[in-house]
Amino acid sequence: MKKDPRYKSGLISSLNPFGYNVERWSYALHRVTGVVLIGYLMAHIFETFELSMGSTAWTNTMNALHSLGPLELVGLWIVAGSALYHGANGIRLILNEMFGKLMGSPILPVYPYSPTSLGRNQRMVVWTITGVVLVLWVWAGLYLLAGLGVV
Amino acid sequence: MDKVTLEVVRSGGRRIRYDLRYRKGMTVLDALIEIREKLDSSLGYRHSCRMGICGSCGMTIEGVPRLACQTQISILKTDVIRVEPLHSMGVMRDLVVDIAPFMAMHKSVKPYIMRRNTDERDHSDREYRVLSEEVRRFLQFDYCIMCGLCYSACPTVALDPAYIGPQAIAQSYRYMADPRDEGWDQRIDLLDTSHGVWRCHVAGACSFVCPKDVDPAKAIQMARKEILKKRLLRRKARVGAQPVPLLSSGVVKQGVKPPPFDFGKGSVSRK
Repeated sequence: MKKDPRYKSGLISSLNPFGYNVERWSYALHRVTGVVLIGYLMAHIFETFELSMGSTAWTNTMNALHSLGPLELVGLWIVAGSALYHGANGIRLILNEMFGKLMGSPILPVYPYSPTSLGRNQRMVVWTITGVVLVLWVWAGLYLLAGLGVV
Repeated sequence: MDKVTLEVVRSGGRRIRYDLRYRKGMTVLDALIEIREKLDSSLGYRHSCRMGICGSCGMTIEGVPRLACQTQISILKTDVIRVEPLHSMGVMRDLVVDIAPFMAMHKSVKPYIMRRNTDERDHSDREYRVLSEEVRRFLQFDYCIMCGLCYSACPTVALDPAYIGPQAIAQSYRYMADPRDEGWDQRIDLLDTSHGVWRCHVAGACSFVCPKDVDPAKAIQMARKEILKKRLLRRKARVGAQPVPLLSSGVVKQGVKPPPFDFGKGSVSRK
């Protein structure tokens, strides 16, 4: 594959939010959680496909999954967090992208500059989403642990 | 702070450190000028006005695209400052990047006022008047100095070189929002593509780094909203489309109040 002659372009550069605004962090997290969900979807399709191969294949797959022990739990917890974040942030993005909400209207820029698209409303929604998702993610973790009888 | 060190990423990825004496109010551009004058005359970088007007000295400073002339060393809160070329652009030499692809994107969106009646351009018999409230709709986007910082900061540009980028879309929207312009039909086909407005994922990095508060992220979402609206109107208007009067907006005779600006008017029929 031909190397991109551009300086520091590509996936790693695209996902590196250091030094940037909170929305750029949100962008990176949205992408990563999206990949986690796609991975989970593929695994889930494969898992349910095993049902068509007969009860022995299904039982073997389930045994293999359960043999992972705490890793299975951690995996499910990550999937739960990804689904929560991706869904909640997705609603914000739909508001931004389809309806132009939270972006503000054109202004006459006055120094010191402060872009309205990254203004108070946008930040407030980003942090609210982060907070709510964190709370729900902790609750999901406790729920999973309760399923195992740990708590 | 008496001393400051600039770690400059030069051609071929070489990281060269230069030690300088810090002066109060010193900018990164001042430091680079001092390096070239006193320490290393081979260092390559662009600059011109030294006051944030020309947009020549864009470079990545401490991981973020900034204008070197507008970046005070004191605000960086570090003694060793990392200076690199702008990301997502080809390096010509040291900190000098190839802005040709960026400029090509800008040119592709036809960043000028277009009128349907081309004869008007050569034989104008009246002035084009714009009311102050109409100016407010596009003036913010008119302040672009084409420094390329937004293009470099955009995570989508990093992944997709064919994406036309935040600067070009913002400039396109600037003319779309101008009541004198009638080039909507030509621009919509450039913007309404998989490498156009729909490629933006609202990371907001473009607006974050913009040194003039042009706010490209806002312009992109506004362009998107209008394209959606326009496409829906076009579907409705496909049957029994009405010809659009030339003076639908902008061009007015003295004393005649112009009609309110509306994206729904002006280009119902498609050429």
